[in-house]
Amino acid sequence: MEQNLIETDILIIGGGTAGCLAAVEVRERFPNLSVTIMEKAHIDRSGCLAGGMNAINAYLNPGETPESFVKYVRFDSCGLVREDLVLSMSELFEYCVKKVEKWGLPILCDDKGNYIPRGRWNIKINGESLKPIIAKAAKNAGTKVLNWVVATNYLVVDGRVVGAVGFSVRNGNMFVVKAKATIIATGGAAGVYKPNNAHDAQHKTWYCPYNTGAGYAMGIRAGAEMTSFEMRYIGLRVKDTIAPTGTIALGVGAPQINSKGEKFMATKYAHIGGDGAPTPYRSHGPLQEIKEGRGPVYLDTRHITSQQARDLKSAFLDMYPSMVLYWAANEIDPSKEPVEVQTTEPYIVGGHTQSGYWVDVNRKTTLEGLYAAGDVAGGAPYKFVSGCWAEGVIAAKQAGEYAQKNAFAEIPASLVHKEQDRAFAPLLSFTSKKDGIKAYDMEVRLQKIMEEYAGGAATYYEVNEERLLVARRRLATLPDQFKHIIAEDLHELMKAHEVIDRVYVAQTLVEHMLYRKETRWPGYCTRTDYTERDDEKWLNFVNSRRDPDTGIIEMLTRPYVQIVPGDRYKPR
Amino acid sequence: MPVIIHADKCNGCHGSNNPPCIRMCPGDLLMKDSKTGKILMRDPAECWDCLPCVKVCPQEAIEFRLSYQLGFHTARLIPHIHDTRDFITWELIDTKGDIDKFTIRTKILPVELDEKVEGVAAVDFSI
Repeated sequence: MEQNLIETDILIIGGGTAGCLAAVEVRERFPNLSVTIMEKAHIDRSGCLAGGMNAINAYLNPGETPESFVKYVRFDSCGLVREDLVLSMSELFEYCVKKVEKWGLPILCDDKGNYIPRGRWNIKINGESLKPIIAKAAKNAGTKVLNWVVATNYLVVDGRVVGAVGFSVRNGNMFVVKAKATIIATGGAAGVYKPNNAHDAQHKTWYCPYNTGAGYAMGIRAGAEMTSFEMRYIGLRVKDTIAPTGTIALGVGAPQINSKGEKFMATKYAHIGGDGAPTPYRSHGPLQEIKEGRGPVYLDTRHITSQQARDLKSAFLDMYPSMVLYWAANEIDPSKEPVEVQTTEPYIVGGHTQSGYWVDVNRKTTLEGLYAAGDVAGGAPYKFVSGCWAEGVIAAKQAGEYAQKNAFAEIPASLVHKEQDRAFAPLLSFTSKKDGIKAYDMEVRLQKIMEEYAGGAATYYEVNEERLLVARRRLATLPDQFKHIIAEDLHELMKAHEVIDRVYVAQTLVEHMLYRKETRWPGYCTRTDYTERDDEKWLNFVNSRRDPDTGIIEMLTRPYVQIVPGDRYKPR
Repeated sequence: MPVIIHADKCNGCHGSNNPPCIRMCPGDLLMKDSKTGKILMRDPAECWDCLPCVKVCPQEAIEFRLSYQLGFHTARLIPHIHDTRDFITWELIDTKGDIDKFTIRTKILPVELDEKVEGVAAVDFSI
């Protein structure tokens, strides 16, 4: 096996939304520092932005402030967020958006040159090429890019993260990257639960199916503190295509209706904002309608003109082209009939909800030398694209300062050998044994356990103690089965690590769901044994830390701190 | 079957070892057939329907279709990149063959036909 040893001042794992901006920021602020991006695909089109984006959904339109943004995000997250993190990212929205516009992103403007809002926190863009645009900026800044290198683990020496190990999915080379500071930006996790569609459409998911929780799993294995995994993201999406509904709901103002034509959000959830209720309720509401026999549920678009329907299709082409083809392939005209919606498989993300590394305001994790940005970082929901950019910028600044003050560590050869053996084991198992478990088989097993016992779509995402304990028990066997995984080629080796990583994510998730004995986010994590919100006991963050030596997951809470005054359950 | 590669149009980007469609797939799903030099889809079930491969193909040899469980035959969606790279025209064909077109502003960046893979000794990754 060929081995490449690379030394870089800053290693960024994951060249997506957060990673590309972090790379540029390091090079601009610290021109003396070298930067390397380790990316499992090709940074030109990797991760969540591969298909494009049609809006920046976290932006301070005229009249809004970081404080008003915090109030809204706090309301949307049912009163519990890291206000310090949300404040610090929102202060950088303008900086990031202006920067990317300068790199060539077309942002829609009116006659006076002002951005065109689409809702309170959104502006419209023509972002089909958003990913190649930010990738080019990262390359132009002088970043070394390791495309197709799948990160498998951090190198940890004396409690400090001093780099990472990965393998090339193209040529099987091993990459040992020594770094003074490391930024993790690998995104969240899809595919932990059964996907919405089966067979040849199993990857017809909203969240990028290639984001499989690598960053979470590496942190969990290394003993990093994680937060809020129990705040799963279960979005309201267009039926079948799982396309985002914001383009419709915000774009043309479409209320949810049930099969009787009743505007149930407006009537039943008026006290928390009706169709503008916190995001979890916008999934919880329609789920209750369907559960009680009043499905299907729709977004009512019948009031829109044919021109508005065309504009809607144009907007989807910039981000989610299959939505437009779906309407053509099913003879659906959204101006004549309402658009049916459904809820997604549960995703673990830190950009819509707040699952991820527990970080300080500088995005430093609990591991020395490691910083986190984007979907993999916890505590700050409602990031979307611009919040991930902002976190990349913050993490870059701090990682840069850390790298200025600290030298490379000596890495024991045994550490590298151990990880090499672990990383390539499925390939060797195939050569030596032939018989074993394919990554796909373990994926289906994992998804079956999670779907049936840990609150999948089939059970309306509801959980209770007893079911979760079954999930815990079944999951506990999986790590012992890793040695049976076989991979015929490098693509299958990548798939093997994707499922191994998701098992670590799932185990942590189940512990989090067991620990929070309340229902703070109906729809996301509805506990049938603790149905109410309980601010007296549970207005705090549920965190976890897995002991790297024993594998035991220890649970703890961290206090919520209110910084922006006001009623936590009001949007303004 | 989200992505169909038309072998009659695909020229393997003139012997490129690492052509744009292979590079742009975020799921590592496209590969080169070492016998014919043309592109193959590894597993349609792993496709996200994100379309970078379709948009980047200089021959327009890659066609996007919904899997049949989601949409009827033979509705199709074909992006045409303008020579100026400032616009993209989407040709939408419904099940009856009626055509609709959408032209949208963008900023397409130029893409090389080949690119080196990082590593000590690149082995042949085609099948």
